[in-house]
Amino acid sequence: MSEYLQTVFDKFELRVHKEYHYTEDGLWAKIEDGRVRVGASDYLQRTGGDVAFVEVIRQGSIVERQAEFGTVETAKTTVSLLSPISGTIEQINDMLSEKPELVNSDPYREGWLVILAPRNLEDDLKMLMSADQYFELMLRKLETEQRKLEVR
Amino acid sequence: MVDLPEKKVGIISCSGDACVEGTISRVATRLVLEKFRPEETVTICLPLFLAGGKEERAFAKYYPTITVDGCDKLCAKTATERYSAKPASSIVITDLTRNSGCSRSGRRKLDSGALGLAEKAAEMIAKEVDQVLHYWR
Amino acid sequence: MQKKVIVIPCSGIGKALGSVSREATYEVVESLRKGVTETTCLALVTSGDEETLQLVKTNKCITVDGCPLQCAEKNVKLAGGELAASFRVVDTLKENRKLKPKSVTFLDRDGQELAILLAKQIAEKVDELLK
Repeated sequence: MSEYLQTVFDKFELRVHKEYHYTEDGLWAKIEDGRVRVGASDYLQRTGGDVAFVEVIRQGSIVERQAEFGTVETAKTTVSLLSPISGTIEQINDMLSEKPELVNSDPYREGWLVILAPRNLEDDLKMLMSADQYFELMLRKLETEQRKLEVR
Repeated sequence: MVDLPEKKVGIISCSGDACVEGTISRVATRLVLEKFRPEETVTICLPLFLAGGKEERAFAKYYPTITVDGCDKLCAKTATERYSAKPASSIVITDLTRNSGCSRSGRRKLDSGALGLAEKAAEMIAKEVDQVLHYWR
Repeated sequence: MQKKVIVIPCSGIGKALGSVSREATYEVVESLRKGVTETTCLALVTSGDEETLQLVKTNKCITVDGCPLQCAEKNVKLAGGELAASFRVVDTLKENRKLKPKSVTFLDRDGQELAILLAKQIAEKVDELLK
């Protein structure tokens, strides 16, 4: 059984990892032994474009939920990264300075962005979407994009 | 569950750097995608397709395709047939340019004549898209 | 017959940087290093066109890729071409962050500027290879 929910839009397969939590902006959060690993969803990396730079605040910084902890700059645009939870940045993915394209090629694994030590995990998790909820949101966004093409 | 449209046509254009017909092929394909049939078409990147791009090849296998080649080497058509399935339709730009007096020097920036041919080719491709979708639906 | 450097862009059609790869190649072969460089279609390399394979195997090649998938570099290597250097448009973009091309079909000003900057880098490499 697949660990992803998936759909196809145009020629692209868009996946949502079943075990992660999500923000509406398209960041995922994975609980790992009391820590939270954060990354960009497949939908976010696909719509954002090829990643050229990833910049995050330094290790040890404290972030509030929904506060900006970094940016992803692509060939098309700059995407602000808003933290899914409050906590301290414990680790930054160093691979992304040399290979920012990992965010595109492997968004749910090697393309992770930061690991946080959470401050208020139980409450913050209630504010996040489940995989099913995010998947439905993604489908609605895709439908809106499709309608925009029809109106043109 | 949101009902997403399923019927799309993949347009596969040659890369065509070496001649003006290749540029016309490319521009015509982009015009179909952006202007004439934006919601009915997707473009398949030929270099990625040839290199084994999973999504490109899967799309071309299960959805109808139209290939657009700049010359009679037919790179897009041949690759599609080899790696996915026979295209629903194939267009060769030299069939359009043969008697048009189109300048061969304009491969980088199309002159007005060549741009006109690209528009004409795009209209042809758009009509093929309609035909393909009509029979597919 | 004088040796030339063959500059091969990916010309990816789905992304603006694919158009930049193409434009940069034209700037090199038609302007900056006219006469000592030429280009060919990547599709002809990959499809095994005899004449094209002969060209890339007997001359030094430079590939220019629009995205990190690097189709041009991979395919020229696979075909046994003499790959002397490879460029990625995204690396030039990293050095010139303000130049973000918005359009694919007809390159906008940022795209054209980015292409010229990349073309100059490629031209320098051509000079090195021809020494």
